[in-house]
Amino acid sequence: MDEEPERAKRWEGGYERTWEVLKEDESGSLKATVEEILYQSKRKRVIESHGQVRLGMMRHLFVVIDCSRSMEDQDLKPNRLTSTLKLMEAFIDGYFDQNPISQVGIITTKNKRAEKLTDLAGNPKKHIAMLKKAVDTVCVGEPSLYNSLKLAIQTLKHMPGHTSREILIILSSLTTCDPANIYEMTKTLKSLNVRVSIIGLSAEVRVCTVLTRETGGSYHVILDESHFKELLMLHVKPPPTSSSSECSLIRMGFPQHTIGSLADQDAKPAFSMSHLDSSSGPSLGGYFCPQCHSNYTELPVECKVCGLTLVSAPHLARSFHHLFPLDAFIESPVEEHQRNGFCQACQGELKDKSIFTCPSCRSVFCVECDLFIHDSLHCCPSCIHSQTAS
Amino acid sequence: MASEDEISLLVIVVDVNPIWWGQQAQREQEFTLSKCLDAVMVMGNSHMAMSRTNKLAVIASHCQDSHFLYPSKSWKAGDDGADDASSSGDGKYELLSVANNLIAEEIRNVMSKTEVRGNSTDTLLAGTLAKALCLGQEIKSRILVIKAAEDCALQYMNFMNVIFAAQKQNILIDACVLDSNSGLLQQACDITGGLYLKIPQQVALAQYLLWVFLPDSEQRSQLVLPPPAHVDYRAACFCHRNLIEIGYVCSVCLSIFCNFSPICTTCETAFKIQLPQMVKPKKKKLKQTT
Repeated sequence: MDEEPERAKRWEGGYERTWEVLKEDESGSLKATVEEILYQSKRKRVIESHGQVRLGMMRHLFVVIDCSRSMEDQDLKPNRLTSTLKLMEAFIDGYFDQNPISQVGIITTKNKRAEKLTDLAGNPKKHIAMLKKAVDTVCVGEPSLYNSLKLAIQTLKHMPGHTSREILIILSSLTTCDPANIYEMTKTLKSLNVRVSIIGLSAEVRVCTVLTRETGGSYHVILDESHFKELLMLHVKPPPTSSSSECSLIRMGFPQHTIGSLADQDAKPAFSMSHLDSSSGPSLGGYFCPQCHSNYTELPVECKVCGLTLVSAPHLARSFHHLFPLDAFIESPVEEHQRNGFCQACQGELKDKSIFTCPSCRSVFCVECDLFIHDSLHCCPSCIHSQTAS
Repeated sequence: MASEDEISLLVIVVDVNPIWWGQQAQREQEFTLSKCLDAVMVMGNSHMAMSRTNKLAVIASHCQDSHFLYPSKSWKAGDDGADDASSSGDGKYELLSVANNLIAEEIRNVMSKTEVRGNSTDTLLAGTLAKALCLGQEIKSRILVIKAAEDCALQYMNFMNVIFAAQKQNILIDACVLDSNSGLLQQACDITGGLYLKIPQQVALAQYLLWVFLPDSEQRSQLVLPPPAHVDYRAACFCHRNLIEIGYVCSVCLSIFCNFSPICTTCETAFKIQLPQMVKPKKKKLKQTT
């Protein structure tokens, strides 16, 4: 788990006395401590921003899910596989919410082989459907790290240089069965600029530590289900790009959405190019590629006919808040603030322990509004009033 | 109908840009700001009358700031219902008459006390919408925007942030536009699933509000409502502000350009240009003929 091998392992340190966190007050109730713990957990969710670091917006991520025998273990309810697949659905939703122009693919590994569950695609529905079906897979055999990495690289190495190439492995077994030297594979990954991160479900494995350290990824082992969710969600945010990735101008198309109706003289029915194999018939409306006029039902998509990436302006706008992150607000105890006891955003009373002040406009917010502003809104409600130029 | 104890909040955002309303008063005497607020009060009263658990909030969006007309801070602080003088003699439900009086009083305060800086006819809606979102966090809510003046083009990014936050919270944004079409509000309604309507006749504002915007999202599936407007999702290039269909996007800062240029003007990265590969001319070995 630690990048520097010199740091002491958990069993080498003293015992952690977790019961000492709870303290009773004079009347013997734990209410104050419980409120404090809840308050701290609320604050923990505000992740610190990276500052002026270039982030990789267009990501190609492969998720490798271990389907070996150890996934039938019941320490995560109902068993590890079901719990993992449910968390993966939430991860995919969050991933496409924060990175709308990125792509994800899923690989499963069992019985010393690896196979692709879904290919790299930008549409979340297909992935979620396959994840739901995968709950019935039989977990058998041993996973193979080498084979799954090789399968992922086969697609990733063809991706253009300005995108970030990532692999996230969820490994529950303590062993891996590889046909060739995994350290050679590590060298290949490094040369291809692929970043590998691993989430372990059992314990720390040395080969994973070396793999992630060499490629620049992160390695964590879960403590329980909520920790698992937290670790997964850490990978939703775009990572800082490595210095060797190229920056280029990507040619993209912005198609118009036409809502065709039968009364319209010019409306011609067309088949959607992304659903040629499904049984749905031609439709009148949809998005037409500006270059070759093929029809698509949803965006973002890469045109199969002419290769142009098609997006809509809101998809790009979704990523803007990563480029202009909001500063953290200054926390101060509520007793110092006497002026008016109302939060500027929701007009509610300030009854929590502390209040938050925006550094630029000095407006005061309560804990829930502060959390909402930093998690979802990404802009201070008072600052955008006084901005005459954004 | 929704279950009995489900709270449903309606936030009405009224655009009270004094410059636009002043010009409007000269254009057409029949429809002024007070008539507009009458219609808003009718809408608010109807919403609260639909169910005991419905709640209302009204925010006025001014040039540079936004003010809560209802519920107001002074009402919350000294809330005893002790003003018997305001209870109307016609037997109206007391909550409704209190709401109406408060709205009337607050809008008078707002319009007389807020100073007007500058001459702009644009309103900064993004900040008002952000405050409206902070209100309805744990409860099911929707926002109705009554827009008068034109869009302010500078607030595109903040507006989009607000729209995505609303979509994540499942909050609908409806828009009732009095004068000129607003591209930003059309996008907001499309993304969050609300309704966009430009009113043909402004004097009938109350009618449109009650017929189209009063039912909530579950009931709308059973009604025949105005068809969705055609939304223009094309992006505007950063250099000329033209709407383009094919453009170049910088991979670092996501700025959009209409023509290829070797340096991005926003983040100043130099781009790698793919040059055609140099083919070395092969040296031909002269065949030695004897």
